[in-house]
Amino acid sequence: MADTLTPESTEPRVGRTRPPRRRSGVVKGRRNWLGGGLAWVWLLIVITPIYWIVITSFKSQDIYFLSNPFVPATHPTLDNYRMVIEADFIRYFFNSAVVAVGTVVPAVLISFMAAFAIVRGGNGWVLRFTNSLFLLGLAIPLQATIIPVYLIIIRLHLYDTLLALILPSIAFAIPLSVLILANFIRDVPKELFESMRLDGASEWGTLWRLAFPLTRPALVTVSIYNALAVWNGFLLPLILTQSPEQRTLPLALWSFQGQYSVNVPAVLASVVLTTVPILLLYVVGRRQLLSGLTAGFGK
Amino acid sequence: MTTLVPPATSRAHAAGRGHRQRSLAWLALPALLFFIAFGVVPLVGVLVLSFTQWDGIGAIHPAGFDSWHTVLTDPGLLHALWVTFLIMALSWLVQTPMSILIGVFLAGNQRYRAVLAVFWFIPLLLSSAAIAITYKALLDPNFGLGAGLKIGFLTQDWLGQPKLAVGVVVFVVSWQFIPFHSLIYQGGVQQIPISLYEAAQLDGAGRIRQFFSITLPQLKYTIITSSTLMVIGSLTSFDLIFILTAGGPADATRVLALDMYKRGFQANLMGPASAIAVILVLIGLALALLLQRLGGRDANASQMEGA
Amino acid sequence: MDPRTTSRRTFLGLAAGVPLAAGLAACGSSGPSSSGGASGAAKSGSASYWFLNGPPGEAVRTATVERFNKANPSTPIKATTFQNDAYKTKIKTAIGSGQAPTIIWGWGGGGLRSYVKAGQVDDLTDWFAQNTAVKDRLFPSSFGAATIDGKIYAMPAETVQPIVLFYNQKKFEEIGAEPPKSWGEIMSLVPRFNAKGIAPFALAGASRWTNMMWLEFLFDRTGGPEVFEAVFNGEKDAWSNPVAISALTKAQDLVKAKGFIKGFSSITADSNADQALLYTGKTAMMLHGSWSYGIQLAAAKKFVTSGELCYMNFPPVEGGKGDPSDTVGNPGQYLSISSKATPEQKDIAKKFFSTAVLSDAENKEWVATGGVPIVTGTESLLAASPDANFLKFIYDTSSKAKVFAQSWDQALSPTAAEALLDNISKLFTLSINPQQFATNMNAVIGT
Repeated sequence: MADTLTPESTEPRVGRTRPPRRRSGVVKGRRNWLGGGLAWVWLLIVITPIYWIVITSFKSQDIYFLSNPFVPATHPTLDNYRMVIEADFIRYFFNSAVVAVGTVVPAVLISFMAAFAIVRGGNGWVLRFTNSLFLLGLAIPLQATIIPVYLIIIRLHLYDTLLALILPSIAFAIPLSVLILANFIRDVPKELFESMRLDGASEWGTLWRLAFPLTRPALVTVSIYNALAVWNGFLLPLILTQSPEQRTLPLALWSFQGQYSVNVPAVLASVVLTTVPILLLYVVGRRQLLSGLTAGFGK
Repeated sequence: MTTLVPPATSRAHAAGRGHRQRSLAWLALPALLFFIAFGVVPLVGVLVLSFTQWDGIGAIHPAGFDSWHTVLTDPGLLHALWVTFLIMALSWLVQTPMSILIGVFLAGNQRYRAVLAVFWFIPLLLSSAAIAITYKALLDPNFGLGAGLKIGFLTQDWLGQPKLAVGVVVFVVSWQFIPFHSLIYQGGVQQIPISLYEAAQLDGAGRIRQFFSITLPQLKYTIITSSTLMVIGSLTSFDLIFILTAGGPADATRVLALDMYKRGFQANLMGPASAIAVILVLIGLALALLLQRLGGRDANASQMEGA
Repeated sequence: MDPRTTSRRTFLGLAAGVPLAAGLAACGSSGPSSSGGASGAAKSGSASYWFLNGPPGEAVRTATVERFNKANPSTPIKATTFQNDAYKTKIKTAIGSGQAPTIIWGWGGGGLRSYVKAGQVDDLTDWFAQNTAVKDRLFPSSFGAATIDGKIYAMPAETVQPIVLFYNQKKFEEIGAEPPKSWGEIMSLVPRFNAKGIAPFALAGASRWTNMMWLEFLFDRTGGPEVFEAVFNGEKDAWSNPVAISALTKAQDLVKAKGFIKGFSSITADSNADQALLYTGKTAMMLHGSWSYGIQLAAAKKFVTSGELCYMNFPPVEGGKGDPSDTVGNPGQYLSISSKATPEQKDIAKKFFSTAVLSDAENKEWVATGGVPIVTGTESLLAASPDANFLKFIYDTSSKAKVFAQSWDQALSPTAAEALLDNISKLFTLSINPQQFATNMNAVIGT
């Protein structure tokens, strides 16, 4: 450890001189039977509903109640999947993706900038006001503000566009993102900033070349959280869009909800089709995700 | 590069701080503008609405404190508050230990770790609506899990008994979000240096002792982050409970957000619904401040102070 | 950082935003639909029509619009469909912000009354007076839910849907019993079915309105339609009427006697789980809307066509004042015209009402879905259908009913309806007793 100044108690956050390793926190050499056993139990709990979703999506609606829920269909059918794709699924998926990316990227970037300003910007009233405002905005319930938001969107002539979904979503993502990111930035040692400053870097440069890479774990966390919220949100699309061309995935489940009843197998086929691409994305991007989450301050 | 900055220099920096603030404030401007336009203005609109009587369809009638009075004297409000906090607390109690354990497990080197990680992640990818529909079907006493597997214990009146319904809601919320929080904890655990554990092992500490003396304290800020997300999330979470139980049975799962939606959009009482919304915002603010305080931070302090 | 100072400053800052937001909100309510250029609600010149999606009705409604558009290519109607619950939210926000479609699909009753109070729908009384041909072919009973304070505000349309007592003939044969002819017989059948492991009644208790159907019939059979009418007319303490309390008590008696399938409070109607209980033979009887016939036909064709599925009107209660021919349910669906639409759009809508709605072609389509359109003189059409028996039953029940009461949750205002459904849920889970129910509901009378 070349770090002579930092006392033992604060060592863990700084000065991990080893390159990031994927294995840590578990002592090698002794198998964890209890942990392993519980892990399989948890797997069972996770898998059971998912197994049910998958096999039911291959059942037709008329045998849905007649068959045992855990036995796969004797005559599996792709009808449900066909119905889902015919019901414009691909367009809805595309819309959802556009809204998700269009929300998360700007939201995380401007939240990051704001968090940096709040932490590093001293004690002026503007930044303190901003900080308090964001704290106030943490728990704004969407259901309550939806009507005023709706009125604003109409005034802006944005009704029934994807932008109508993106703009408020960015706003709602900001408070929590700023909170998490600010907490994280505070952990970046002041010395690092000082040395950047001494090296002649501007604040803007410091922002992107120092703070951004070091804050990666929080950025990843916040991005996932916001992306999921937007991906699954149905109230905003419900109120702010109307024509089928602008609908997003949560509304796609509608197509199978009749006036009096729900076509459960078709709904589940829609769920499977929604989930598989993201799952593939996760499998492929897992390494990146994890290295993002475990970036440290190692020098 | 790691020389300690002597105090004298930081005094000199104080003079520069005002300059720094002016030059940095503009960084916060985009976020501030967005938030004011689509967050604050609607919020003020809601505040204004709480002083009116409106059914959502006709004209808005100013009504002074009537809506507030209705809401604050309604025993339903206290009940909704109680249910909200109950579910919030139970969710936290279930999710946090599980997520920590799973995070620790995933950070380790068990053989099937990668495969398990992929499966464990799936619940997070499902929408709340999908999850609610699934569990409603699985918990059906006649066509669900219990009937299918012929396990009598599982054919309870899960969503029909108040206490069971609360338990079900907590379970389903946990099922949905444990993957997310375990991901955060996995990241947190993987940042803990092995050297600490090796030193402890040399000192003779067992696995359990290491967990409580090293892992948990090192995860303190991860716990705060995860808990903040959990708490604020459960305060505003609505979709899942709405579809799963619609607040029933007999209002057993009628959390504040649901209460507000029902009053506003189903009972056409936008005034009282807006009042409840304001209450929700204030609770969120209070909780956030509380969590900050628990984290032991004040504004710009850092864990690194004193370095 | 001093939290107190900051909060004070924060509030001052927010206070400046109040006039701005108030201005927005105020403008919103009188919503000029001239900003409709942005909303997809109406292109200038073309009328818009929003309705529910999904089977059985979507295909029929869409076909009707298409027929109209073909006959009127210069003034087409643009249709948009929404899911049931989503529609309820969406239509309110649209109307409340002046973005309503030209033709508003609805359930009449209390919901329509709230539109009328807000001046959002047009009075059609005169139009009907001038177009007697349109009015006279519809069921007279369907106008009840369209009439607010003596004036007609909606065009009745679609099908009539009374609540029917369905039962599985085979289950009765299994215990050697006859379908119940009175409430007393129902109560005595309950232990007999339970002893054989057959649940007497299927019920989707979690959906609340399903429980409500029971109360609607019990109230009517015990005390006649006057009991609920008192509530509807806003009479003070109408729920504390001893007849009402007695009906509420009977409902709880049935619950306590295990008349409903185990775990009924967990079952929701929208997945058809309650109907599945009937056609998979797990229960003997079920009280449900007439639309259930079509659903069961699609899900379990043999059960229906083999005659196992039988149906009857709710039996009378011994000593009760209600006429056994009375029925409850949806006397129809209702199409209103937005008062904020342009005169051209309103004319298009009226033309739609008089030429396309419930045309012969549409009636044929409704019959094919197993529904009875609210048009007189369809007997031969019904008799020609493969479901002739059921359709005739529905037609007779609806047209011969002395009183066809509208479902309570549609008849009452949305505010009272919400309180009603909540209390019904508590009543059926035995969380409150009839007196508490009455007290709670008396508090919202007239809201």
